[in-house]
Amino acid sequence: MHMSKISRRDFLKTSAALVASTTFAGAARILSTAHSQTIDKSNILIFVFDAMSAHHLSLYGYPRNTTPNLEKFAEHAAVYHNHYSAGNFTTSGTASMLTGLYPWTHRAINYRGMIDRSLVDRNFFNLIGKEFTRVAFTQNLWADILLSQFEKDLDLHLPPDSYSRFADSLMQPKALHADHDLAYFVFQDFLNLRVDDLHPYPGSLFLGSADLARALASDRPYISGDYPRGLPTNHDFSYENTRVLEGIRHLIQSSMLQSSPYLGYFHFWSPHDPYSARKDFVGMFPEELKLQAKPRHSFAVNNFSDQSLWKYRREYDEFIADLDAEFGKVLSSLESSGVLQNSYVIVTSDHGELFERGEQGHASALMYAPVTHIPLLISAPGQQTRSDFHALTSNLDLLPTLTQIARKEIPDWVEGRLLPGYGGTEDASRSIFPIMAKDNAAFRPIERATFTLIKGVYELFFFTGYSGHPDTFELYNLQEDPQELHDLFRRDITTASQMKNELLEAIYTANHNMQKK
Amino acid sequence: MLQRFPKSQAILQVYAVIAVMLSGWTITAFLWKLSAWLLILNIGEIFTVFSYSMVANLIESLMVLLLLLAICAILPAALFRDDFVVRGTILAIGLIGSLMAFVKFDMQFGIGSGARLLIGPFAVLLLAAILLGFSAKFRFARVLHSAILWFSDRLIVFLYILVPLYVILLAYIIFRNIGQ
Repeated sequence: MHMSKISRRDFLKTSAALVASTTFAGAARILSTAHSQTIDKSNILIFVFDAMSAHHLSLYGYPRNTTPNLEKFAEHAAVYHNHYSAGNFTTSGTASMLTGLYPWTHRAINYRGMIDRSLVDRNFFNLIGKEFTRVAFTQNLWADILLSQFEKDLDLHLPPDSYSRFADSLMQPKALHADHDLAYFVFQDFLNLRVDDLHPYPGSLFLGSADLARALASDRPYISGDYPRGLPTNHDFSYENTRVLEGIRHLIQSSMLQSSPYLGYFHFWSPHDPYSARKDFVGMFPEELKLQAKPRHSFAVNNFSDQSLWKYRREYDEFIADLDAEFGKVLSSLESSGVLQNSYVIVTSDHGELFERGEQGHASALMYAPVTHIPLLISAPGQQTRSDFHALTSNLDLLPTLTQIARKEIPDWVEGRLLPGYGGTEDASRSIFPIMAKDNAAFRPIERATFTLIKGVYELFFFTGYSGHPDTFELYNLQEDPQELHDLFRRDITTASQMKNELLEAIYTANHNMQKK
Repeated sequence: MLQRFPKSQAILQVYAVIAVMLSGWTITAFLWKLSAWLLILNIGEIFTVFSYSMVANLIESLMVLLLLLAICAILPAALFRDDFVVRGTILAIGLIGSLMAFVKFDMQFGIGSGARLLIGPFAVLLLAAILLGFSAKFRFARVLHSAILWFSDRLIVFLYILVPLYVILLAYIIFRNIGQ
């Protein structure tokens, strides 16, 4: 093939074109930067506290003074009083918050489950778009699996053990360049030995032995004078809230100034079990609450005595108070540095915690209000007054609301609604469906689960598929019976029948859609 | 320098023992986890997890082999190289077996057992040391000697499966990561 020689004229022409195109591209970049700087968009900071039940916050009327700092923050925020998670443990609750979809749609229904691979673009990092600098951090490894699924929509995804103290296992979640979302399964779930696992079986003899030797040699450094119950831990690493929250505050203040608008998602392990408050907070609630004892539920797996549950409850409350004090410092610092002046600040949780009917924790078949009722506070830039919303809201609503705040179009696949105060209306006839379906395959219709329908003041539970138990319904009036002690299912036949039909129809539709897929 | 190392056939026999022990452990653990993963991961994802695990397994098996070869290079030939198959096999079984005992004790009794978890691995290592120290001095040891030679030779057949599997899975992992 003949290649013609380049003449002097051709060379000059090409050079000129190159110079022009480079200049234009550079100018375009400058314009683009200028454009993004001139867009008047506020920053968004989302703080998620794992397993923080609204039922244990003095902000919502709990008799123990657990959250004085959140109450102070609430003085210039919108406070949502009936906000519910769509799931009762991290995976399903967080996935619903991040996608605006119900668990039966996004399918992250199992322990360490993942969002349906065909739906990973349905998340608020993606919707808010590249205009924002999108930063995400979670100490919860199951939530980190979800963030890893959204890796391409994140500008910065911090490792879960950032700002931690002691790693209990040789975790390498960032080591798999091509498979961020599978890193947990390769390392934490297989090759490593997780010392606190009930049935550890490391796939790697070397890594497993190393983990075990480290745990033995470290002499479990978790007990210290400052932490009488041990350092807070997520069972993979230990941490101190002071250090983690301070690290995040520093990250926000240093990076936000350079990369505005900014979306930060910060999901902390505390106050999740184990409840390890600092010594200053241990014993701060010596008085016993006048709590009504609740009989053990037939679907409860555990059988904790009331005394044990009250002890756990006190430790949990102390841990919340400790966390609240630390978070208060972060808020003060952000406020004095002016960050809050142009930022939406959202405080919420992924699910709650339960201390009743024989169960302690959250991922059981029991979906009573303490485990799904979560806090939600939103402070808008420059907001000076408090506003309270008592309408029923779901954590699915965060995605459309954030999309609205970012002035983006809300897609039609969203199953949540705009929150009241942010374009939404208070709808008394609204239905929401928290569910627990962790024993089902993510790829098949849901057969064994606890389904919940909350509508108006009523809450209907449907326990189905549990071996040794017939299908069971329970109905409560949350306004007249907030302790959920008086089952109305056979007494308020009209309400029970209407809600049962609505719930069964919703389940049928969800399972039918799954089968079609 | 190469004369300090054993013959390739001897290396293969010892590597077969190492690879079979380590991969046997990993594959058993994998099958134990599989039922839980089937609920949440699709087949492709499970295959990818398996691939990474087997690549880790390959690296571990090569590390053990290299350790034995390093010992070969350091010690006088009469002490280790000349009887590499038997001594290398005993040492490999001792090392890997002690790790197995360590982890198995934890699986059985939990981390709360503390230093008692070390009893199993020390017992295995002690047994290996005794066998190494007194091999060929007793009639039993001579029987063991022959048995190890026969056994390690038989295990080579597994390398016809394991080595191609390692190569394929390693290529798969490299391809995935380069493709990104």
